[in-house]
Amino acid sequence: MKREFADRDELIAYLREEFPEAAAVDDHVSGTRGGRKAAEEQLAKLGKGKDYEASRNYVHGPVSRLSAYIRHGVLSLAEVRDYAVAKERLPEDAEKFVNELAWRDYWQRIYDDIGDGIWDDREPYKTGWHTERYADEMPQDIVEADTGLPCIDAFARTLVETGYLHNHVRMWFAAYVVHWRRVKWQAGARWFLSHLIDGDPASNNLSWQWVASTFSAKPYVFNRENLEKFTEGEYCKECPLYGNCDFEGSYERHQRRLFPDADPAVFGDGRRGPGRGRGRGRR
Amino acid sequence: MTVERTIVWVHGDDLSPNSPPLMADSGVPAVFVFDDELLREWKISLKRIVFMYECLLELPVIIRRGEVAAEVAAFAVGHGATRILTSRSPSPRLAAIAEQIAESSGGRLRVEVVERTPFVKTARKLDLKRFTYYWNAVKNDVLGSQGE
Ligand SMILES: Cc1cc2nc3c(=O)[nH]c(=O)nc-3n(C[C@H](O)[C@H](O)[C@H](O)COP(=O)(O)OP(=O)(O)OC[C@H]3O[C@@H](n4cnc5c(N)ncnc54)[C@H](O)[C@@H]3O)c2cc1C
Repeated sequence: MKREFADRDELIAYLREEFPEAAAVDDHVSGTRGGRKAAEEQLAKLGKGKDYEASRNYVHGPVSRLSAYIRHGVLSLAEVRDYAVAKERLPEDAEKFVNELAWRDYWQRIYDDIGDGIWDDREPYKTGWHTERYADEMPQDIVEADTGLPCIDAFARTLVETGYLHNHVRMWFAAYVVHWRRVKWQAGARWFLSHLIDGDPASNNLSWQWVASTFSAKPYVFNRENLEKFTEGEYCKECPLYGNCDFEGSYERHQRRLFPDADPAVFGDGRRGPGRGRGRGRR
Repeated sequence: MTVERTIVWVHGDDLSPNSPPLMADSGVPAVFVFDDELLREWKISLKRIVFMYECLLELPVIIRRGEVAAEVAAFAVGHGATRILTSRSPSPRLAAIAEQIAESSGGRLRVEVVERTPFVKTARKLDLKRFTYYWNAVKNDVLGSQGE
């Protein structure tokens, strides 16, 4: 295939022509440029470990945006770790960031062990619903960003248009798909892989399983308050559904409503949700 | 004595110019093949292809598309090579392709997998049942191995 292009536009036009099927799936181009040069520029922007630790769960927080480079091996996990640690006075200050890098290593190791088994439920759902009670396909209104929920629709559009979502958004979105709409995590995972620039079968599928509870002790859910806080009101402020949306209320309320037949032991005392415990947003 | 000729097969899990197989033997012909079947099966959208293509343009590779095993084998044969270097990956699909290359050539073509710099250097078998077990086991090594 061709290697010489006058500019990015020419490259994109060429690829649209060469890969019409991919363009038919979706024809957007990401602002994230490929290549080692771009990767090094992005790495040079890495902030302080303590700021990352404090604010990484905010959708506009100081996350690295390195995932596409790491996923394609343009940067190795080891060199990103070395860079992050070298920036700090104490290595421990980089701990939270390095811990997130470790999640990738962890998923890759599982992938190495189980191969295509990452497409199967690792464990049964802890939701009280049997696998057969989950739909096989993604509902059209979700993929067309037409659910009527401004936050969810904005997330779907962002994924399709940019190929990237913040980690917290991925968690909310996956929880909405699997728990609020009762769709098999595999359907959501396939849709993510089709659009994410960092789409990786291990990180993606096993994260979906973590949300679904087929690879964790309990299902991950969230509520409006949590979404409002970590988006700094971006969607809720002017939302016509405010006070009345699907995510309104306490974690306990959502757990009772979404998982009426779940084993109460799954949620422990008073059905405390994952958003309340020490593990809050840790992925 | 005949010197064994080598090519490098670059795949999507290692698109770095510092990729170990590319560094192992500089100047060796290298090929990347877009896997048409995978693109179709996973419904990969254009934005990922653009990103990968931009990575590839910084690498000394010939870019092709089609059936990966057949394309890599043909590339090796075209360069009179019998040894194919490639980067380590957990992907079962890449492993299957490597096997197919060897099988379809009746064993004349040999795929050699080159390890990449590990994030954690440990000989121990790690418990992967939950992340915390793994993290507690590796944390000190991971944070302490700066500058290696
Ligand atoms: C449902 C769901 C699907 C996901 N799918 C993918 C995927 O296909 N590919 C992918 O790379 N990540 C995936 N993740 C993990 C995570 O969301 C992204 O890696 C992260 O948001 C990328 O942004 P960043 O580079 O700014 O991350 P940072 O917060 O800056 O983290 C630095 C790096 O650490 C790694 N990392 C961080 N968090 C995780 C995590 N939870 N799991 C694995 N690696 C992590 C990534 O390589 C990331 O680039 C998924 C998470 C969820 C909840």
